[in-house]
Amino acid sequence: MIRIEPKRFAQLLVSLAAMVIASSCVGARMGVSWPAVGLISYNGEQNIALAYNNRVAIISPVNGAPLRLINPLNGQAILDSENNPRSWILDGAANNGAQFYALPIVIDDETVLVAANNANLLRVDSVVLDVKNTYQLDDKVVANVLQVGDILYVPYQNGGLSARSMADYRELWRFHTEEGVWAQPLLVGDMLIVASIDHNVYALDRSSGQRIWSVDLGGSVASTPLLANDRLYVGSFNKMFFELSLDGQILSTYSTQNWVWGTPAIDDRGVVYVADLSGYVHALDSERNLQEIWSSQVAERGIRSGPIVYQDRVIVASRDGKVYWLDRRDGALINAREIDNRPELLGDMLMLEPSATLNVDAPLLIVTSVDESRLLIAFELDGRQTWVYPR
Amino acid sequence: MWDLILNPFVTILAWLYAALNQDIVLAIVVLTVIIRFLTYPLLAKQQESSRKMQQIQPQLKKLQEKYKNDKEKLSQAQMKLYKENKVNPVGGCFPMVIQFPILIGLYQAIFFALAATPFQLVDLSERLLIPGLDSLIPLQRMWTPIPQLSDLLPALDLTLAPTENPHYSLILPLLVLVTTWAQQKLTMATTGQKTSKKDDDDDDDGKPAGGQAQMMKSMTTIMPIMFGFFSLSFSVGLSIYFVASNLIGIVQYSPQGRNVLDKLFGGKKSDEAPVVVEIEDDEPVKRPRKRRKKKPRKK
Repeated sequence: MIRIEPKRFAQLLVSLAAMVIASSCVGARMGVSWPAVGLISYNGEQNIALAYNNRVAIISPVNGAPLRLINPLNGQAILDSENNPRSWILDGAANNGAQFYALPIVIDDETVLVAANNANLLRVDSVVLDVKNTYQLDDKVVANVLQVGDILYVPYQNGGLSARSMADYRELWRFHTEEGVWAQPLLVGDMLIVASIDHNVYALDRSSGQRIWSVDLGGSVASTPLLANDRLYVGSFNKMFFELSLDGQILSTYSTQNWVWGTPAIDDRGVVYVADLSGYVHALDSERNLQEIWSSQVAERGIRSGPIVYQDRVIVASRDGKVYWLDRRDGALINAREIDNRPELLGDMLMLEPSATLNVDAPLLIVTSVDESRLLIAFELDGRQTWVYPR
Repeated sequence: MWDLILNPFVTILAWLYAALNQDIVLAIVVLTVIIRFLTYPLLAKQQESSRKMQQIQPQLKKLQEKYKNDKEKLSQAQMKLYKENKVNPVGGCFPMVIQFPILIGLYQAIFFALAATPFQLVDLSERLLIPGLDSLIPLQRMWTPIPQLSDLLPALDLTLAPTENPHYSLILPLLVLVTTWAQQKLTMATTGQKTSKKDDDDDDDGKPAGGQAQMMKSMTTIMPIMFGFFSLSFSVGLSIYFVASNLIGIVQYSPQGRNVLDKLFGGKKSDEAPVVVEIEDDEPVKRPRKRRKKKPRKK
């Protein structure tokens, strides 16, 4: 019989308890949110902006490499202390441990603003990537800030929306919500449409912050509504998808399989595509009170981000680590690509089309994952992977 | 696999939250009571096993002395002793092994239910098994311990650590430490009463008799400190769970509490007299009787 000394046994038990406690934290996510990705104008060209955890980066759509910092006076690369070219990566660790989940806003050729999750607004010299000023916000920021003219609309993680002057960043007005605002506000005329985790969608006067109307959707609303044909389309956590009029009336509803988190997409025929957190994609007729055209379980796990409609396809990315290309007419699977190590694909996607300012030859799909070794993955339309960031 | 345990807990917690006027702290406490109550038979079995092991410690020690040069005979004699006393040497571990995932599941359920960030909340979408609970999300995470004194004791954010909450919340890690210590102490008293005093038969080296005594002593010191320390960085909601769980444990381990629970679950009375079994048959095993004559010399 195996005998264990009492002291050893005590140590073993304590270690076991510690391991159990530690392992019980494994399921707990350490971050706050997923990567934010979007297009940003920089040096006269369109590039990809990424904000995630402790970094904000500007990345070339051509090859997925971070842009180099260039001295505007001589056109030479700016070097670091070890004479290596510096990349456009803002390090949160060097700025009070800031974490970033909101995209930067370009103010001019030399300045960008970044709202951080430590309740700071950073004014950054984008030429040398130096934080010039830090402004204190009232709360953490987890969604993109909206800039309209000379006003910033800052959504707060724990509740409320703040309007701030871009002249001095002081608060002009504040609208309070009971829970957080986790989606960028949407500007519709002079109205700001604000979705809140407190179950409401609010319409605010953008100059005063006064509530024009609000509607309770019975569940948390975490995405920016889609505006199409003078109507708003938005899903909620009570497994419902809504069509709203611009005066806050619920016009139609559709029951989904699980929570709807991403912003829906609409095509030129008026078909709205909605994905939910059970891995379903639904195609709904916006002309006929959200009547279902097709509904199909596409992925093994949930689809957090909104679908992308491009040409005859609907593209979705799932928590199961796969990207799916569907036929938008009937939802039939055309193609599926599995990302290495199958990281959760939680962040929004981006479709880049060739243009004068975007230096790509063919349409490019950008998918975001929560894997630090492959935050951005670029695909061509046929599903071929072209690059990965970081490389 | 783990979701089979976790998801029902998350669902029940959300359901209790709805049933208890959307009071998350009350829901945590009630769920903890229910789980500790339902797992009591396992706990009682574990205690009983520990107690029996404690009772045969003197005989075990004698066997170890007698057969210190013959491992095989020692093993045979020990097995015989276990058999005649109807003791399973690892019998105390099995109920503990079953209880662990349940208690960890409860702990994680509280963590997930108190989701406060997008990353945490997206997980919750796959865990609510009863339709209709989705409309409760997010669960209320602000808690005012004494509403009448809300100016003095402002609301706590249950999802944040005490260090990020009003200063008075630092009392929670202290409460975790004290209640863990008290529960450990009672556990020690329940399963190893004899070890608290010198055992006449075995205490020839001046140390407390029984290996479990030392083990329990270490646990009583280390565990409260460890849990108190962890509670400094855990969310306040989890500290409340630890305190509630410990308080229920204290009731379960107290003599009055055990008597009530034993009656409810039809178990043995906690003060049942130990069964003393003579070791027969084996020549070397009988020798310790001769050594007993030496005892008066020690006294």
